Amino acid sequence: MSNADREIQELLADYAAALRDGGLPTFLKSLTREEAKRISASPDFWEATEVVRLMNGAGFGDNVVTPDVGLFISRVDAAIVSRSKKVKASTREHSRSQVNLQ
Amino acid sequence: MEPFVRSTFGIFIRHLHRYLGNEVECEDVLEDVYADIWENPDHLRAIDSERQLLRTVYLYYMRKRLREVYRRMNRSSYLSANDMQNLVAPELGLCDLLSQTELKQVLHRMLGKLKARERKAMELWMAGMSNRAIATQLGTTVGAVKMLEFRTVLKLRRMLKEYCEEG
Repeated sequence: MSNADREIQELLADYAAALRDGGLPTFLKSLTREEAKRISASPDFWEATEVVRLMNGAGFGDNVVTPDVGLFISRVDAAIVSRSKKVKASTREHSRSQVNLQ
Repeated sequence: MEPFVRSTFGIFIRHLHRYLGNEVECEDVLEDVYADIWENPDHLRAIDSERQLLRTVYLYYMRKRLREVYRRMNRSSYLSANDMQNLVAPELGLCDLLSQTELKQVLHRMLGKLKARERKAMELWMAGMSNRAIATQLGTTVGAVKMLEFRTVLKLRRMLKEYCEEG
């Protein structure tokens, strides 16, 4: 992905490979100013990305589904607990400032 | 929340993978999505199908989180904010709400309609091969493979558009 000023078909192929291999940030960083303009002006590129995403999902989407969701659920629970603590803290802060105002 | 996560995890993470292609990123984003749903579940009150659920979750919860992920990345990219958003958190396309099973069936059918060389290139790509390896298999150059992939993907898009508009 290091070639300067790639043509639109090369940019699509590199985007597709980066998406498939989980390295999208590297692709984004590799874009030159000229390539970014080329992408922006190419309706074909945008239409093609739609298909690339679908192919990525169909071909590799099943690989990310972990058989045991339990660990992930505990992460979600922790995130929820953390948020509810923040909500409680901000409510307490709010009522304290109300009392001070009175 | 646990039963909801258990019943929807597979659907949501597969969908996110289309945009991120990275297991760790997918789980990080999905964790925030579920916490957002817990905090504000109003959009999910009157859902009556899997397709409607996915559409609602993508539009109201996932897109916001996807934009956040890539806002960080955009600091080092020449893409405009608008292009970045279209690349990583786009509007839903015609076939984006197909279930995983239906999507696989449709793509399989579409691949069957391609010329042998086009189909081979796509199948090798979906098998995880690099463009260099595909070029070796097809006995051609990397540049020619990229051009072949580009034309074939556009051809597939026309076929998918027809399929989704008919359906």
